[in-house]
Amino acid sequence: MAVAMRAGPSQDEIRRQNLGALLRYVHVHGATTRAELTTALGLNRSTIGALTADLAGAGLVSEGTPKETGRAGRPSLVVRPESGRVYAYAYSVEVDRLRAARVGLGGEVLDRREMDRPRNLVAGEAAPLLAGAVKEMHQSVPPDAICVGAGVAVCGMVRREDGLVRLSPTTGWVDEPIGAALAVELGIDVPITVGNVADVAAYAEHARGAAVGCDNVIYIYGDVGVGAGIIAGGRRLRGHGGYGGEVGHMVVVRDGVRCDCGRRGCWETEIGEHGLLRAAGRSEARGRDALLAVADAADRGDARAQTAVRQAGDWLGFGVANLVNIFNPEMVIFGGTMRDLYLASAAQVRSRLNSNGLPACLEHVRLRTPKLGDDAALIGAAELAFERLLADPLN
Amino acid sequence: MSATPLLELRGIDKSFGPVQVLRDVAFAAHPGEVTALVGDNGAGKSTLVKCISGIHPTDAGEFLFDGRPVTINSPRDAAALGIEVVYQDLALCDNLDIVQNMFLGREKRSGIVLDEPTMEQMAAETLAGLSVRTVKSLRQHVASLSGGQRQTVAIAKAVLWNSRLVILDEPTAALGVAQTAQVLELVRRLADNGLAVVLISHNMNDVFAVSDRIAALYLGQMVAQVKTTDITHSQVVELITAGRSGGLGLTGEPGGNGAAPADTTPGAIR
Repeated sequence: MAVAMRAGPSQDEIRRQNLGALLRYVHVHGATTRAELTTALGLNRSTIGALTADLAGAGLVSEGTPKETGRAGRPSLVVRPESGRVYAYAYSVEVDRLRAARVGLGGEVLDRREMDRPRNLVAGEAAPLLAGAVKEMHQSVPPDAICVGAGVAVCGMVRREDGLVRLSPTTGWVDEPIGAALAVELGIDVPITVGNVADVAAYAEHARGAAVGCDNVIYIYGDVGVGAGIIAGGRRLRGHGGYGGEVGHMVVVRDGVRCDCGRRGCWETEIGEHGLLRAAGRSEARGRDALLAVADAADRGDARAQTAVRQAGDWLGFGVANLVNIFNPEMVIFGGTMRDLYLASAAQVRSRLNSNGLPACLEHVRLRTPKLGDDAALIGAAELAFERLLADPLN
Repeated sequence: MSATPLLELRGIDKSFGPVQVLRDVAFAAHPGEVTALVGDNGAGKSTLVKCISGIHPTDAGEFLFDGRPVTINSPRDAAALGIEVVYQDLALCDNLDIVQNMFLGREKRSGIVLDEPTMEQMAAETLAGLSVRTVKSLRQHVASLSGGQRQTVAIAKAVLWNSRLVILDEPTAALGVAQTAQVLELVRRLADNGLAVVLISHNMNDVFAVSDRIAALYLGQMVAQVKTTDITHSQVVELITAGRSGGLGLTGEPGGNGAAPADTTPGAIR
């Protein structure tokens, strides 16, 4: 295909891009002085002043004087995101719970609701529950506040183009249009974006959590299943259809234990909830509390629980070594139940990783737990909604 | 992770009467890193820490802080350099609240009265800087806190004073799984905020979960100081129990990982 000659970007495009860059900067970094913005964005002072005025006019940022600088001269004005007034709704559909939150520009969770989720609840049934939580939260929203949209984090494979949940073995969802179902229930005219939980959590940790400044990150999220959000070269790696990062279904045992996805020997059959509880002889138990109970029993000297935790830790290290060798990340983050498993079995995880990892790939890899904790899913889901605002702030 | 250690010890000897507890010990702690100090009971971990914190004078050896030779003759010297130790017993007062504990003996004053607002603000900022979300009120008595929260307060107290090196003695001993996890994350965050952290622990999970380097003491000798990416659980256990593991430790190449002393002073061999 012939490449059409492109004219340079128009004035409007440049302005839109600069507005987006400035808003993104204060969204990620919080209150920033005009002087810092000038340096960080490489724009001159009068441009920063004009952009800030435009954004302030739209109610997206506010300007004020800094507390005290301790320096001589007129202090540079501080630009703050209007966290209380500009917000997005964020939802998280997890195996055992549903969460909804109102997240302000700047990534601050302003309000939240949480409810249990029966494991067989489908999207059509989950949507009214989430919408109910939102209606409740909506009552305390200031009248002049601006809702920029909503984002949903789902533990499942999400089609990039329309947010259809194609397959979520752990929640039992197949081809569930959660976004559309929510739109109907909410009856408010805001766009709803759906993403995979590991993906959005990785994005949140990268923007404002443990992985700030790291451009190559793997966030391994676990509940019943296991998935990864992968950031390579500073960008989210999602694959062609948006289904990438299903590391839990990397087959590690030929003809191994049957997985929820229907195949055998997937990684999550060894490190996910079922695997650990099976090995601990507690197959009937369910949920994160059951996992913590195994870790607790292991800590108190229960031999069977100890073996189960160590074995799962060894398998965790096994898979992490493969991922580290393939992607050469500078940081691996263990989120969801993987946080608990990692901290309870780090000796095994590290030992296996150190034995199986290639020395060059191991050199700079840091193993961390999430700084944002479980909020990463909500903050990340909100980022999906903010993303549209940041691309074109005044529209 | 910088190349120059914040604290470096060379050739440390320490005897109590006829018993030589530390023999030609080398040790380094880097800013931004957690260095785990491991060893069996009686290997000399506590003595080494007490030498670093100025409680015990050393018989021989040199201290380098920031690359400069220093002498530490008292806990006051150590504190002046920015070295803080959190002991197992935490040294918190049950009948005082969190702010009072954090400033105990070093209270801020405004004229002749205590400057409560400033102290409360500094305490709040320190806890926020460590992303501590588990403490509800700064004015609650320490007696009402859980084990993990007490440990958190003790650690926050240690970092309040612009400290640069924090030594933690078994911070997760006696804690349950959930609280251990929180304390480990806090330990990691201290280093990620740029401090040099020394973690004494018997728990190999704790050591591998948060450390960047592992220093192993065996009968008063530093048998290895290696990166956590270069060693396995069983190797560390061997170093602790036998003083050697494969190429590491007592029989290893001198200086292979900055571990075994290259030349021992005659005084050290007894």
